[in-house]
Amino acid sequence: MNLLEIEYLKTYFFTEAGVVKAVDDVTLSVEKGSTVGLVGESGSGKSVTAQSVLRIVPRPGKIIGGKVLFNGEDLLLKKEEEMRKYRGKKISLIFQDPTSSLNPLFTIGSQLADIVIEHEKVKKDEAMERVVKALRIVKLPDPEHAIYQYPHQFSGGMKQRICIARALLLNPELLFADEPTTNLDVTIQAQIIALLKDLQKELGMTLVMITHDMGIVAEMCKNVVVLYAGNVMESGSIEDIFERPHPYTEALLKAVPRLDETRKLISIPGNIPNLIDPPSGCRFHPRCQYAIDLCKERKPPLEEVGNSHFISCHRWRELQGGRS
Amino acid sequence: MNLRRRSDKEIKERGASQWAVAWRRFKKHRSGLVGLGMIIVLLTIAAFHNVIAPYPARPHPDAFKPLYEGESAQPPSWKHPFGTTVMGTDVFSEVIHGSIYTIYVAVAVTIISMALSVGVGIVSGYFGRLVDDVLMRITEVFLVFPSLLFILLFSRIYQLGVAEPFWNVFGIKIPVGLTIVVVIVSIFGWASYARVIRGEVLRMKECEFIQAAKSLGASSRWIMLRHIFPNILPQVIVLATLTMASAVLVEAAVSFLGFGDPNTITWGRLMEESLQDLSTVWWAEVFPGLAVFLTVLAFNLVGDGLSDALNPRLRE
Repeated sequence: MNLLEIEYLKTYFFTEAGVVKAVDDVTLSVEKGSTVGLVGESGSGKSVTAQSVLRIVPRPGKIIGGKVLFNGEDLLLKKEEEMRKYRGKKISLIFQDPTSSLNPLFTIGSQLADIVIEHEKVKKDEAMERVVKALRIVKLPDPEHAIYQYPHQFSGGMKQRICIARALLLNPELLFADEPTTNLDVTIQAQIIALLKDLQKELGMTLVMITHDMGIVAEMCKNVVVLYAGNVMESGSIEDIFERPHPYTEALLKAVPRLDETRKLISIPGNIPNLIDPPSGCRFHPRCQYAIDLCKERKPPLEEVGNSHFISCHRWRELQGGRS
Repeated sequence: MNLRRRSDKEIKERGASQWAVAWRRFKKHRSGLVGLGMIIVLLTIAAFHNVIAPYPARPHPDAFKPLYEGESAQPPSWKHPFGTTVMGTDVFSEVIHGSIYTIYVAVAVTIISMALSVGVGIVSGYFGRLVDDVLMRITEVFLVFPSLLFILLFSRIYQLGVAEPFWNVFGIKIPVGLTIVVVIVSIFGWASYARVIRGEVLRMKECEFIQAAKSLGASSRWIMLRHIFPNILPQVIVLATLTMASAVLVEAAVSFLGFGDPNTITWGRLMEESLQDLSTVWWAEVFPGLAVFLTVLAFNLVGDGLSDALNPRLRE
């Protein structure tokens, strides 16, 4: 059973320069208890997709269409008051920058306890106990002391642990991690990734990893969704995607630097398109080495090419045959 | 491994809060401390005004004692440090009695105008769009008013309609006329602060922890009270000290122009009363003026010190 199903989600930003189609017809599903990678370059709509699920898209963004089915219920039809009960309690989000996502004025304990109190109407002492428990789960050293300290007294990695604890306080069913390691240094990154992996296993949580790091995806995820310019390019199991990729995914994989090869760093030519006026047809065609005229004219549908492996490409048949 | 069980006190030892840091920095700010000292002196004088002043306040008949003793219009001397007026009152005593009204005006105007500007600023900045448009247009109306003219006009109209000079609230006599001036000054003074606060809120709103709070199910009210307000409090405090200074100035001006409360002898009122004798009895003008000047200076010095101490960009 799928915990989350997003169908034809459209989230546009109504800026003064024009309408930015940040998420355009995104369709994906997340199986209960699995880890799904949401991959793409910056500006591909990964974060906006997560924000849309929680309905916290910042202005001037607006969800203008589609469905977000969580346990079969469409979150886009919920009232704001009902939606608030989902945020934090059923669906949580870990942010990219742990430093700026904690309120600098309050101690860790008081700001985390607030969330428990707000949702469960418990006494302060009980809330604090829950906070200590959550901090222990994320292996923050000395949680009894930590709750009396301010965010600036912790290192970046510790702060990210605190943020993860905050997201897990109310045992959500679904956790989005929005590039949780981007602002941390490499050794800490590995620790946080290991922690998330362990937590997912221990708590049986459903985790959506938003990242642009194919290494993280390969290490953690069972399924992957590849986004490009607000469109789903490909989705499927990690094996399918690494073995029979979409031309865009293929280009992404080639761009991962490798230690065992002495070659120049490969990059995808061109830039991510301007989403006010996205390319016609397939949005990747101006940068695609396999593009043909058809790609310019018609948007390829998301087709099932194998066992729940979906690709949006006109040429997938010949390309897969050719590359094998 | 040596695992000592720590006492509860050790465990509960808090890190340095923003306020502790700010106080530490303020303590190093010399002019700020001078201003704070001056305000403490002013508060002490106001608290013990009946003890310190050699003569009682009007309308007590003893306030005119120098007149009966043939000492009206005397220059400053040991007996009358600030001299006496033509009508025979001791300027020193009157200035001391006036301090209580100055503090009342400063505090009351600040509370009312800060409440208005913080409320409007936060709501306007946080909700944006239509709410923002409506509130900001209202704010602009108050900004373009020739406020001093309106303050004068309204205080005169209301003074005429006042039946009793004092309200008795828990044994404290609150001058009605002065309170009217306070309310009018506040109503015409909050608008520019609301704009400053709205700007701060707009900046605050972009912070990731606001977005994080939202993603964790916080309500708008909660975000405004618990996340936005505490984070703009430093700016509010600085604005508040500056409001105190300008409130004292505006009230002095209103009283000096003769539009103040006729039943309260404020510093501005003292200056107004002796204005026609300026050429001979200059001391009746200079000392109340000096009191106003020093008070405003003190509030400004403290405001300056606070804005340095609370500025996160200057953190050590």
